[in-house]
Amino acid sequence: MIPQRAGSSVYRVDGKDKVTGAARYAIDIKVPGMLHGHVVRSTRAHAKIVSIDVEEALSRPGVAAVVTGNDLTGLFPRFGHIIADHPILALDRVRYYGEPVALVVARTPYEAADAADDVRVHYEDLPVVITPEEALADGAPLLHETSYDSGDRSFAEARSEVGARTNVAHMAVLEWGDVEAGLREAAVVVESTVQFPMHYAYAMEPYNAIASFDNGMLEVISTAQHPFQVRDDLARIFSLPLNSVRVRSPLIGGGYGSKSYTKVEPLAAVAAWATGRPVRVALDVEGSIHTTRADSATIHVRSGFDADGRILAREFDILFNTGAYADNGPLVLTKCVHRCFGPYRIPNLRVRGRAVYTNTVPSSSYRGFGAPQGSFAGETNLDRAADILGIDPAQLRRINLVRPGEKHIPKRRGMDADLVADLDIVTSKLGWRNKPTAGRGIGFACSASDAGAFPLSTATVRILADGSVLVLTGSTEMGQGSKTALAQIAATELGVPLEKVQVVQSDTATTPYERTTGASRTTTLTGLAVQRACCDALSKMEEIAADVSGCRIEEVKTAEGVVAGPDFEYRFDQLVAEWFGGRQGEIVGHGVVRRAGDLEELPPFWEIGMVGVEVAVDEETGLVNVEHLVTVGDVGYAINPSLVEGQDLGAATQGLGGALFEQLIYDGPQLVNPNVVDYRVPRMKDMPRRISSVIVERQDGVGPYGAKGGGEGSLNPIAAAVAAAVARATGVWPDRLPLTAETVWGLIRADRQLPSDTNEVDDA
Amino acid sequence: MSVLPPFDLVRPANLAEALSAVADGATPYAGGTELLLAMRAGLLRPAALVDLKTLPELSGVSLVDDHVRIGATVTHRQARTAPEGAHIPQLSNVLGRVGNPRVRAVGTLVGNLCFAEPKSDVATLLAALDARVELASTSGGRTLRLREFLLGPYTTARSDDELVRAILIPVRSGRLAAYGKFQTMERPTVSVAAVKEADGTTRIAVGAVGPVPQVFEFPPGERPDCDGIACEVEVTPDFTGGDAFKRHITRHIASSTLSDLGTRS
Amino acid sequence: MSTVTIDTFVNGQRVTRQVAPRMTLAEFLRDDLGLTGTKVSCEMQVCGACTVLIDDMPVSACTYLAADADSRRITTVEGLAHGDELHPIQAAFVENFAIQCGFCTPGFVMMTAALLAENPAPTAEEVAEYMDGNICRCTGYKPILSAVLDAAERLRGTE
Repeated sequence: MIPQRAGSSVYRVDGKDKVTGAARYAIDIKVPGMLHGHVVRSTRAHAKIVSIDVEEALSRPGVAAVVTGNDLTGLFPRFGHIIADHPILALDRVRYYGEPVALVVARTPYEAADAADDVRVHYEDLPVVITPEEALADGAPLLHETSYDSGDRSFAEARSEVGARTNVAHMAVLEWGDVEAGLREAAVVVESTVQFPMHYAYAMEPYNAIASFDNGMLEVISTAQHPFQVRDDLARIFSLPLNSVRVRSPLIGGGYGSKSYTKVEPLAAVAAWATGRPVRVALDVEGSIHTTRADSATIHVRSGFDADGRILAREFDILFNTGAYADNGPLVLTKCVHRCFGPYRIPNLRVRGRAVYTNTVPSSSYRGFGAPQGSFAGETNLDRAADILGIDPAQLRRINLVRPGEKHIPKRRGMDADLVADLDIVTSKLGWRNKPTAGRGIGFACSASDAGAFPLSTATVRILADGSVLVLTGSTEMGQGSKTALAQIAATELGVPLEKVQVVQSDTATTPYERTTGASRTTTLTGLAVQRACCDALSKMEEIAADVSGCRIEEVKTAEGVVAGPDFEYRFDQLVAEWFGGRQGEIVGHGVVRRAGDLEELPPFWEIGMVGVEVAVDEETGLVNVEHLVTVGDVGYAINPSLVEGQDLGAATQGLGGALFEQLIYDGPQLVNPNVVDYRVPRMKDMPRRISSVIVERQDGVGPYGAKGGGEGSLNPIAAAVAAAVARATGVWPDRLPLTAETVWGLIRADRQLPSDTNEVDDA
Repeated sequence: MSVLPPFDLVRPANLAEALSAVADGATPYAGGTELLLAMRAGLLRPAALVDLKTLPELSGVSLVDDHVRIGATVTHRQARTAPEGAHIPQLSNVLGRVGNPRVRAVGTLVGNLCFAEPKSDVATLLAALDARVELASTSGGRTLRLREFLLGPYTTARSDDELVRAILIPVRSGRLAAYGKFQTMERPTVSVAAVKEADGTTRIAVGAVGPVPQVFEFPPGERPDCDGIACEVEVTPDFTGGDAFKRHITRHIASSTLSDLGTRS
Repeated sequence: MSTVTIDTFVNGQRVTRQVAPRMTLAEFLRDDLGLTGTKVSCEMQVCGACTVLIDDMPVSACTYLAADADSRRITTVEGLAHGDELHPIQAAFVENFAIQCGFCTPGFVMMTAALLAENPAPTAEEVAEYMDGNICRCTGYKPILSAVLDAAERLRGTE
């Protein structure tokens, strides 16, 4: 491949702006005359709102409005793309500590914050449920008494009947064969239960949005990963046609799924609607933590194996704590149901998953999307089985992993990866030998995610009068490198230098439809749309060339930015000039990706997780150090290898954070640690001593040049790999995360039957 | 983004003006690294702050009467590099590990002690070193031993009309010190400062694990009892550790810190 | 509440203003001067996104009063490049792929400037120790470490 195009590690096209401070994020943008909104949050986990006193706040200097749920008459007061259960501002009750109950809008952020102190909310407490068990118990209060409907066909998969009478927001079941029969035949049945805690994505730019109404058009600038989805929610709220809502996302300061779907945009929009002025709502980190978190889970697994280690049956019961509102929770649950059992040959399967409403922060998308939870359960269960069966855990996986082309889920795409080969890379890099060493352990785990979300993407390519190119895409740039990778694809397809291509993104009024940016889909699916748009532009240019030169279309060929025929050659700028009579006009190509042809089968691709770690465990303190991290990025084709490596290491690091440090903790009705001092994320000193990052390219994907998606794979199985490594170092199997020093110390104490109090000391 | 509450700012021309402002209810500050966070969190709402950084009387590190005297506005970074600091064992080491380089550039030792965060490394070391604080007010001054000054979490003996003008750390020849800690979060779970005086007295301050640094003193000849310390120390369980774990780590760190001390003889 | 006067240098330019005591340096730089390169994230001094240099020392601008900038020299990320030419630290970050979402980047760049001014030849351990007070949620830190070591070499002229 020619350098500067697909296949090479070009420098990020937004790198210079980001290092000089020129890069603009939503929080950096100012709209003239903009007011500032300050959110007043509930101090109850579950309560009826008796009244809200806003008079005093309204009389404070600079205050333009104090908006509450009572002020939303005439609007559709809720949002939510699957279940529209999420009030913009609490209506008759609050359902979690920290839920927005009022918005003070003032001339400056100072005035808004000062007046917010004067808003007084009177509550009548209702019983509180914090865990799914509490929420499912007899007599538990119902969080949602009515059922809601979002009427969006593309989410039919994720909706269920059960919402109305219990606190089960969504249930998903996947089964085939006869699990009971399979378990009866099994030589060994291994049962385990694991706990996966609540996580916080910590995207470093907190949620923020500016909204304004202009000539009947609602304009929003925000941190949304999916501006088109937000547009749809806002259109419904204000009963506006889609063409009258414009949502733009500039560069996003981190997303990881946490900025998927609608967050603070409705707050900003109702404030703009109430005041007639542009309004910014900018949360701080504590406010962001109280907006969206990731699902915690309790997962029970039973697996049956024959004496040779072949899986005969697997059964999973998954309980998610999905918080007070559904957001994308039902889809995360559904994905967990499809991902927990791993990419193995399983003749009999039964998975039941339930996402349960509780009086906690709503959970939604986060990198991995159900696979981290599911893999932690399924892979540790498999490793424990290996122990009991006396089979090497790598060999146990080799026996059961599906081969390329083989389906591990009926009616889904066959495996588009060579998993056994990938596993062998991991075990060999780690120097795996099934031999315990005190204080050190090696663990590895696999996963395959039905990623790519939905195959719907469009792109437009504009060849301008000077031969430079604009690529328009509704996708967003949140660090994953979409702006760069899509430019590389366009440059390759058109045969022009990378510098000639500019990618313009994420504006629902001017860039064409992109359903979502997430699920590791952009390079593959938006990339295909860009390829198709380039193809369309090229074919139009060839037609034009044939027309102006009077030859047949078959005689025209394009290569390296030149359209050539039997006796002519046009550079793109020359062709535009020829067609439009001068240095003016442009030639436009459009590309559409739909679920058809190659993309009929779902998922568009399998996102592979294949990771391993070697850890050292200090038995005295329980401290776990990661000595070696191995990741395999089986991406089919790396449009930009450095971006793939960056995503793999970033994902693995978030996963290590989840495995070793991160947990949001509830004490009674409220979070104990809603800040990044007490919620501990990985830092530079936590880097594994050695990092081996391998990219595997077998051109086995449907994306451009055989590409598949990446960016979550290295996170998904990593907690399981760490747990296995710790187990091999200590002889004790962890069943919960994070594996903090105290947790590991406690596990060791319990196993060695050492007393865990100070009576352990001898009389010195 | 969140904002600070409103307050007035006093820039005193001299110490008398500063003391007068404090007597009127203003809160003295220098770096503000802890104070401003507490204000932003809504925990403190002083009507006025008085900036001590303008006062040369409160700056500087000096050697006075066998004491290293650290003025109120001396930052961790300044104290670390001050030549007089070399008289105090472990001072440079501990100051070099407070927070992060930004906190060290702006935060002061006196401010750190006044905020009385239970997990303060500085307080732990100074407690073991037998440090004192010099307070001043419009009605005079007084000096308190650190353990009389630090009363509990975020609570000191400083009255509202006083400010701390300096820390006094005794310089004692033949004195050895060692410092160790166990830290997995933003602040330590347990920190231990061990000091051995020339006469053989061993003083061990255990910090972070309880409400204030807790000092255990062992007379010459008596071997410090880490098990006993772990048993007796007051522990505040929190999400960095429960009671059993914190006592266990206390014993572990105390023991290894004492070994370090031993290898210094 | 009354205002206070500050007389300061920001990226070499003299700036004199009346500010409210409650205004932080980050707010002053971003909202008053339009220098939005300095980012605000954790607001507890532990993430480093708001790092600026005050008299060449690294400071968390989110927890520093604008008032305290009086008579001080402030350098923000916008003050590093010479026109179109990137500062060697900035070039090193780009060329070592040490950037993803970029929100932490100005903070890391400024911390690197502070570190290398103090210690022109840090070891990897020294870099990790110094940078332990900065969070990146995207990269996994390895490329940032490479960028800092590379920047050190470029500045020493030993490339």
